[in-house]
Amino acid sequence: MGGPNREQSLTTTRTEAYYVARRRAYRVLLYVLMFVGCAIMLLPFFWMVTTSFKTELEAMRMPPQWIPRTWLWQNYPAALARAPFGRYFFNSFFVSILSTAGEVFTTILAAYAFAKMRFFGKNVLFALLLGTMMIPGEMLLIPNYVSLVRLNWFDHYEGLIIPWLASVFGIFLLRQFFRSLPDELWDSARIDGCRRFRYLWKVVVPLSKPAILTVALLKFLGSWNAYQWVLLMTNSQRMRTIPVGLTMFSSDIGTEYQLLMAASVVAILPILILFFFTQKQFIQGVARTGIK
Amino acid sequence: MLRRMMLVGLAALVVFGMAAVAQEPVTIEFWHAMSSGHQPNLQKLVDDFTAEYPYITVTLVYQGGYGTLQGKIDAAVVAGNLPAIAQVYENWVTPIAPILYPIGNFMTDAEKADILDGLVASNTYNGVLTTVPFNKSIMVLYYNKSLVTTPPTTWAEFFEMSKALTVDLDGDGKVDRYGTAFRPAANPEQFLIFLEQAGGSILNADWTEVALNNDAGKTAVEFVGSLIPYSYITSEYMSDHIKDAAMFVDTSAGIGYNQKAATNAGFELGAATLPAGPANFNSMIQGTNLAVFNTDNLTQAQKDAAVLLARFLLRAENTVFWAEKSGYQPVTKSAYGTEAWLTYVGSHDFQVPMSEQMLNAFAQILHPNYGDMRNVLSTGFEEIMRGVVPPLEGLENMAAEIEALLE
Repeated sequence: MGGPNREQSLTTTRTEAYYVARRRAYRVLLYVLMFVGCAIMLLPFFWMVTTSFKTELEAMRMPPQWIPRTWLWQNYPAALARAPFGRYFFNSFFVSILSTAGEVFTTILAAYAFAKMRFFGKNVLFALLLGTMMIPGEMLLIPNYVSLVRLNWFDHYEGLIIPWLASVFGIFLLRQFFRSLPDELWDSARIDGCRRFRYLWKVVVPLSKPAILTVALLKFLGSWNAYQWVLLMTNSQRMRTIPVGLTMFSSDIGTEYQLLMAASVVAILPILILFFFTQKQFIQGVARTGIK
Repeated sequence: MLRRMMLVGLAALVVFGMAAVAQEPVTIEFWHAMSSGHQPNLQKLVDDFTAEYPYITVTLVYQGGYGTLQGKIDAAVVAGNLPAIAQVYENWVTPIAPILYPIGNFMTDAEKADILDGLVASNTYNGVLTTVPFNKSIMVLYYNKSLVTTPPTTWAEFFEMSKALTVDLDGDGKVDRYGTAFRPAANPEQFLIFLEQAGGSILNADWTEVALNNDAGKTAVEFVGSLIPYSYITSEYMSDHIKDAAMFVDTSAGIGYNQKAATNAGFELGAATLPAGPANFNSMIQGTNLAVFNTDNLTQAQKDAAVLLARFLLRAENTVFWAEKSGYQPVTKSAYGTEAWLTYVGSHDFQVPMSEQMLNAFAQILHPNYGDMRNVLSTGFEEIMRGVVPPLEGLENMAAEIEALLE
């Protein structure tokens, strides 16, 4: 009585238990792997933060001394006193924000044109544009420098911002995203009497927020970390940015790691805060546009 | 009487007039690659200079490391916005020698004769002292005092001690500490030292032929080849590998970092002159010189001001101050006899061998292709020391590549 049913129920329970256990095991394994990956990723960051509190001898110790014997908070004021970091911070923000805003604006226009509009030579022009990505940046450094010196933009914000207001990579990225938007949206907008420009800003841009934020974030990071170009295009302290300031602690014979790390911790804080607030959009954008 | 008064008045007018012309304010830029630890001392020297010449303003412009300073100078040559004065390595400016302002032409004979002998040739272009030495260091032998009681004075002793000090401490069949160490990729000058000490050089006297693979070159490469089993090879700072070798050849400027690393590792570091080879115990001078540029973007007053600054920095008291604060070496003979320097050496015993080595030194040749030749030596020396090619074959390869550069 009820034998087969009971047996069946037992088998089902056993199978379920097996699957639950397997799922749990997978999850544990996943968390262990994620923890290990996380630890590996965070180790340099951890070293950076702890080194910023070490003595010079502790910072040079090999194998590394992970935790300082005494936490030297004075490394921070000492590092920041080595150069006008306040001015460098302002410049980094100013240049990064304007370059990012400018690039996002030009990129949206160009990407939309390449994605959704028809004009003569569109594909050839796009291929040519992509072709410029093959030219190593180092090759263009001196010609660009000469051009900007002749434009009298040397040691001016114009030289640090204007050459970076357009990005082929950004155009390519957004074009791919814009192409995935259905044309029917434009058809219905047109029926409602909407023009291209209005449609772009009222419909396309809001729909493409994650991709645009990705472009903006990548640009901001690139601009914040820019070193060679800033060094080349500026001479005065009042025009220089954070990464140039960070080189002050290294020479051909060695590096003052404890001070360099203290200044680096301060330098990456704004980036960390920015990423903290935008990580959702950033990850979405990366996932949707297929950028690895 | 009236005539005499008029003459005196005229003379006074000329003198004061000239003084007024000479004291027109002038601003010059000094491009350098001195990191923030050195900058206050460089600024102090510049402040002393401008106190003496109040009509001159010197703007110190930090241009990052040496690599970026070189890149910036290259770009500025093309764009025509060079500074009045800059720190330069010899091989950066040999290709642009025609646009250098010959500082030596505006120095007294006594000032020129005061420059250390080993530094004259590497600053002289077509027989004219054109650049002047500034932050100079010398390669010396550092050693672990707990392992080496008396540093080697000859190649033979160096070899024997390197062999004896190469040990497998834990018995696992692997060497734990080597007798010596090399940084071939970063520091091909280590090979050039052995070449010089064997009596050789890269090129012959008039730079028409490669001399690298003559008998002296073979002696040098065979000697470094014999050290391979007893040598720790790295491309990083020696201070990061201080425990890996009992002795190593490194720049005198690295003394601060090397000493701190040794303290961390629990031993005291010693410094000595290099072991002598068959010909001499000369060492190679490293570091930069000062160049004044003779380009259209600079006024005559700027060039004159830059020359004054270069001469000021050569003064015994200034080169001594710079040496004491920076770890580089004084660059004039008179500096070594000053009370300030003798007092400093008295309290820093490692300076005794460094000073002696500075007086027995050589510098890089001013061939326009030296930069490329150095790259060849760097790769070739690395291949030899890492056992990729046998020493003699490596030497022939380097000679062939340098031959191509001559053509």
